[in-house]
Amino acid sequence: MSETILKLDNVTKVYPNGTVANRDINMEFEKGEIHSIVGENGAGKSTLMKVIFGIERPSSGTVTYKGKETDFNSSMDAIKAGIGMVHQHFMLIPSFSIVDNIILGDEPKNGIFIDKKEAAKRCQELSDKYNFELDVNAKVSTLSVAKRQKVEILKTLYRNAELIILDEPTSVLTPQETDKLFDQLRSFKEQGHTILFISHKLEEVKKISDKISVIRNGVSKGTYLNEELTMQQLTNLIIGRDLDNDMNAYKTNEDFHGEKALQVKDLYMERNGKPVLDHMSFAVKAGEILGIAGVEGNGQQELVRCITGLEETKYTGEIDICGNVVNDLKIKGRRNLGMAYIPEDRMGDGIAGALPISDNLISTYYDREDINGKIFMDTKAIRKTSEDLVDTFAVKTKSIDTSVNSLSGGNIQKVVVAREYNTHSKFMIAEQPTHGIDIGSEEFVHHKLIEMRNAGAGILLVSANLNEVMSLSDRIIVMFDGQIAGYFPKAQEVNESELGMYMLGARHQTPEEIGGALND
Amino acid sequence: MLSSIFSTLFSMRFLVTIVRLATPIVFAAIGTFIAAQSGIGNIAIESIMTFAALASVLGSYLSGSAWVGVLFGIGIGIVTVMLIAFFSMKMGANAMLIMIALNTFADAVAIFVLYLVTGEKGTTASLTTPVLGSIDIPIIKDIPILGEILSGQYVLTYLCWIIVILLFIFIYKTPTGMRLRACGLNADAARTAGINVEKMRVLSLVLSGIFAALGGIYLSLNYLKIFSRGMVSGQGWMGVAANGISAGNYWILILSALIFAIFRAVSIIFSSNSAIPTDLVNAIPYLAVFAILTIVSIVNYYRVKRGHVEEQ
Repeated sequence: MSETILKLDNVTKVYPNGTVANRDINMEFEKGEIHSIVGENGAGKSTLMKVIFGIERPSSGTVTYKGKETDFNSSMDAIKAGIGMVHQHFMLIPSFSIVDNIILGDEPKNGIFIDKKEAAKRCQELSDKYNFELDVNAKVSTLSVAKRQKVEILKTLYRNAELIILDEPTSVLTPQETDKLFDQLRSFKEQGHTILFISHKLEEVKKISDKISVIRNGVSKGTYLNEELTMQQLTNLIIGRDLDNDMNAYKTNEDFHGEKALQVKDLYMERNGKPVLDHMSFAVKAGEILGIAGVEGNGQQELVRCITGLEETKYTGEIDICGNVVNDLKIKGRRNLGMAYIPEDRMGDGIAGALPISDNLISTYYDREDINGKIFMDTKAIRKTSEDLVDTFAVKTKSIDTSVNSLSGGNIQKVVVAREYNTHSKFMIAEQPTHGIDIGSEEFVHHKLIEMRNAGAGILLVSANLNEVMSLSDRIIVMFDGQIAGYFPKAQEVNESELGMYMLGARHQTPEEIGGALND
Repeated sequence: MLSSIFSTLFSMRFLVTIVRLATPIVFAAIGTFIAAQSGIGNIAIESIMTFAALASVLGSYLSGSAWVGVLFGIGIGIVTVMLIAFFSMKMGANAMLIMIALNTFADAVAIFVLYLVTGEKGTTASLTTPVLGSIDIPIIKDIPILGEILSGQYVLTYLCWIIVILLFIFIYKTPTGMRLRACGLNADAARTAGINVEKMRVLSLVLSGIFAALGGIYLSLNYLKIFSRGMVSGQGWMGVAANGISAGNYWILILSALIFAIFRAVSIIFSSNSAIPTDLVNAIPYLAVFAILTIVSIVNYYRVKRGHVEEQ
């Protein structure tokens, strides 16, 4: 009989504004198990984690940890009790060394000074014990994302965490890195740690979990043993209906006469003396989705910034949008030529948070004739356009005058996609278009992208989510270290592990094979 | 005429002057720096210096002890930063606006208080005030050249350089210093490591207030021996500028403060020469601030253009 480490009894969390995030949640976690919590965005997963980790207090109900009812005033109390959390957005200080990041808040001392030697020794021992293969004196800014995540995990282990909460830990990893992480999680389990795994990638949840708990709309839909649950049942529990997975079924293949929406030739850019974009050449045809796969930080962001005109660093090479060389044009000029852009940083670049939905739905084409009067904006037309878009894109809101901020992540993304969709552009860059949004909204966004593709738009899809790249793309490029490491003219015929090899730089195609990406 | 200027420029007296002029700027610089390390842009340094300069003289006059005057000055520095902390952190006001307000009325308030106490609006010259003196260091003072610079400086100048070294150790070698820096680099990361970010910021603000106050106290109680209106005259801002140039590097901060002091010294030498208009000469240190900040910005701009970006 295993012992219960954490128990939630009727946990309810009502925010001061009346939002009920969690309602009567009952869950039980046993020592030494890997227990996943799944649910859509806004279902209440994060709030529940905040309650467990002491960031929020439950409005009613109790949290019992190791047989004692908790009364955490801050996450510090939770950490002291032996709960650790690896946040989705890393809580690291890039300019500090690994050691400094790990010991921060609990430093070994020698008199009044930090005992750097002792600190380094302890961290290195810890890293070696769990086979993390880290040089603990390295600066965090020099580390890959996967290694940064290891540092985050080490932080919790350094504080003797027995229960480790991992919030969407795989969203930044390659399949191979994910496998490694899972191996590590299993070894933690063997050493008696309890893992609380939060994710909305269901394949991974199925792969790693002993038990799965589902939350929908703040209410617990039960805890299940992994083996007694099929994927379909799981999806059904999460969104309350079955999911439509096969995007290829929606593709139609009209002939757009090989027109090119985008052509990039010999793009090259340096940062800190190192090439971040290393002579890239490729093209996106009208009526196709070209997917760019790759581990984050291999030049995808820079590539997108060069194409959209956001990049400030000088680059060489030629960028051609819908038949026009755009190197000297700014963002607006490029948009006028038929470029649409769904940016990765939804909150920062995608929307103006404090403004109403209606303004956000027209902000990239406010000067278009149908909504712009001679002197003033045509308010009536704007309202009409906005209301239509909110309808078509099923944005959950009471009114188009609500500020975008107050929507959930998935709905904000729908606003961004709706706006870009409504530009009727010939060329679209979709950068992480479904990052961090729930499977329901994700499905919706995917359908809209396919719809645009079928209507003849060329779409450049940049995503760290391999499933997304594989299910949407017609052709796939893998980027590694600023180069095209692999080019796959038939997206349906590649598999995940093959792409993974290229993403990690373990394989690299010949220039001839890669040359096909240009589509001449 | 020029030859006389040049002979002064390369004389020992010039170096001594630089050390004297550097003290308030270094105080202002480390005051800005420590606040910036925890993530707070303290631009109220100038006003804190003004308040402390007056408060210390009045405190010294009222108590009959210069050191009590120093405590008065430091006290007013702490009160000022606590006001900033209270309004910005507790009441949710915009810290920048509070600090701009403080800077705007600092001179006027100082003159008002000065008038209430002395009946004059210019200086505290009418008050008999105990002041702080200089220290002669035995043995060292007899060393030729070095003795002249290292010995015989004002009390607070020595204190200043002791603080410079202690502060370095505090920021970079102690747990509290590391936590304080963490708050400035990534407040969320610090918070999740269990650090009380607000507490750290209040601590750094208090230190900031104390250092800025010491800069003001040095000017009135130690250097000029009186308070006179407008005596801070932008030296607090030079500290703020030095912090901007340092980009978080402690020794570049100190070096920048020293460079500003050199320009002040140069302007003083030129102003003793009647051939050049005084106003123009007085502008030299400010033009230097302007020039150096411009150069630093241009350099940074091209670094980004050429693709040199550092992650904080």
